[in-house]
Amino acid sequence: MTASILDGIVLGLQFGVLATGLTLVYGLGGVLNLAYGQMAVISAMVVLLAMDADIPLLPAVGLGLLAGGLLGLLLDVTILRPVYRLQGEARVLLSLLLSLGVAFIVDGFLNWRFPLRGLTLRVGGEAVEILGVRMRMGSLVASGITLLVLAVLFYVFRYTLLGRAIRSVIENEEGARLVGIDPHHMLRIILVVSGVLAAIVAMTRSMVTPVNVRAGFSITVLALIVTVVGGLGSISGAFLAGLVLGIINSIASTYIGTFLSLIILLVAAALTILIRPAGLLGVRE
Amino acid sequence: MSERFSRATGTSLVGGAEAHTSRSLTGMLGAVAGMAALLALFPLWLGGSRVLMGVAILGLAYASYAIGFNLIFGSTGQLFLCVGALAGVGGYAATILSDRAGLPILVSILVATLLAALTGGLLSWIAVRRSLGVIFTGIVTLIFALSFENLLLGLSGVTGGDSGLQIRAGSGTILRGQIPPYYLMLGLVVVFLIVHGLLRRSHVGWAFRALRDDEVAAELAGINVARYRVYGALVGAAMLGMAGATYAFTAGRVSPTSFGFAQVDVVVIVMLAFGGIGTLLGPILGAVVFTAIDEVLIEFGQLRLLAYGILIIVLFLWIRRGMIPTLRDLLRRQTTNRDTTAAHTPSRGPG
Repeated sequence: MTASILDGIVLGLQFGVLATGLTLVYGLGGVLNLAYGQMAVISAMVVLLAMDADIPLLPAVGLGLLAGGLLGLLLDVTILRPVYRLQGEARVLLSLLLSLGVAFIVDGFLNWRFPLRGLTLRVGGEAVEILGVRMRMGSLVASGITLLVLAVLFYVFRYTLLGRAIRSVIENEEGARLVGIDPHHMLRIILVVSGVLAAIVAMTRSMVTPVNVRAGFSITVLALIVTVVGGLGSISGAFLAGLVLGIINSIASTYIGTFLSLIILLVAAALTILIRPAGLLGVRE
Repeated sequence: MSERFSRATGTSLVGGAEAHTSRSLTGMLGAVAGMAALLALFPLWLGGSRVLMGVAILGLAYASYAIGFNLIFGSTGQLFLCVGALAGVGGYAATILSDRAGLPILVSILVATLLAALTGGLLSWIAVRRSLGVIFTGIVTLIFALSFENLLLGLSGVTGGDSGLQIRAGSGTILRGQIPPYYLMLGLVVVFLIVHGLLRRSHVGWAFRALRDDEVAAELAGINVARYRVYGALVGAAMLGMAGATYAFTAGRVSPTSFGFAQVDVVVIVMLAFGGIGTLLGPILGAVVFTAIDEVLIEFGQLRLLAYGILIIVLFLWIRRGMIPTLRDLLRRQTTNRDTTAAHTPSRGPG
């Protein structure tokens, strides 16, 4: 049981980072990016190709993160342009459909060009005993990185001018505009951040299990589930939901089975929508 | 922010097209009959090839799914991302009822249809009761679709898991023939189209249009929005279930991939968007064109996915209202240009 819970925490922290990238873009711009998982997969493939080309691990990972950020920027300056011209539900719907198209293009290309490839980052070192459970070094490093990302995110959002500007747009776009904040500029920054977060998830996940070329859709679905449970636009909600769902998932897959554990996650998301549509920590206006 | 979800107002992707549906009953029936006659000629052309007939039958199954989805999304504005799952409820239920419980094929199709209708109605009822907007309805139904897919894989004792089930009932009859199943599915398509066409012309159709264009105004005008939404979902889901069940018997097997989200929902959305969401014959045009495109692209394997992605983007960026409204506009403009001088120019709102 302890082992499952610890595994669940490792998984849950990654869920949290994953959902943060999706939830910020949604909360800020009303854009639901269904190509999110594909951004993570592309970053993983960039690292893989860089390592094939004998580039050392750290620069390769750097390239992967850069690729993630660039993808976010690319989405912002290409297919999201027409999306920004719409408002409300129509905007969400168009962003959803267009990014679905992007997801298919990416999946089709990657599966055609690099079928069956997968990224595994091997983190050396002995397994460490925590609370009587032997944890692999990869899981610990991954969790350490995730916690660091979490800390940076919290710091930026709470204490810097940029973070405050972004939060103000999430809270009230009109008001933010009135005090001189350009929502589109903030959205562009957040899309880049979201791409980097997707890349970070791809890296940390690949320290625990391989991230293969077909993982895009399932990553997006996980991010969507955690986002919905956590509340759209809330970072702390995303992390809380990530931890809860990670632990639930880990316990369920140990004691019940993998297929049903995904269903349990899905049911959790459905129940959240039905009982508390704003999510765990989302604000309901 | 919850403003975005709490009210399901008409979206810019739907609507605009239906302003011109004041066509006469004979006109509607004539259009359906003409389309049916054209499609009925197809086996004369390619009936000799078992492979191509199989493709055509699948294409008709997709056309029926698209009609059901069109009724639910195009007419009542509910984004159901569980088209494949509802068809799968029909397909699997019919298979299990006929092979395990030994019911006659017709009875099992009817029971399966009822089951799918109730599932769709329940989903719609939940969405309406919780007043979920378009997006949350989409997410909840997507969650249902993914759960269904996982259940199919997980409960392999009942569903055969990954490889699915072979259907024993109906084997050796004309249901597995080369050409008869084509006409069976075509019959289904025609019936669905007529049902949808008649619905649109009745008071139900007026209610559908009103609630889709402006939910609050419709409610104020005395339309029970909740009830009509659930009606729409019941009828649409029944179509999906019946098409799934009937297609299962002609194919002789069911598997998770024949009802998967990527395999069915995405394709159906593309077909409908191409033909024109909310138009009567849009689903047919989309299904025919995309079945043909798919057959051409099939040898490219994974690149087919890529082509689909590009098509989705092109469709929603440039021909957002679909081919039928776009073509109709072009035609109208040409005829008005010819008929009238500058005295009367047609004024059209944005799509």
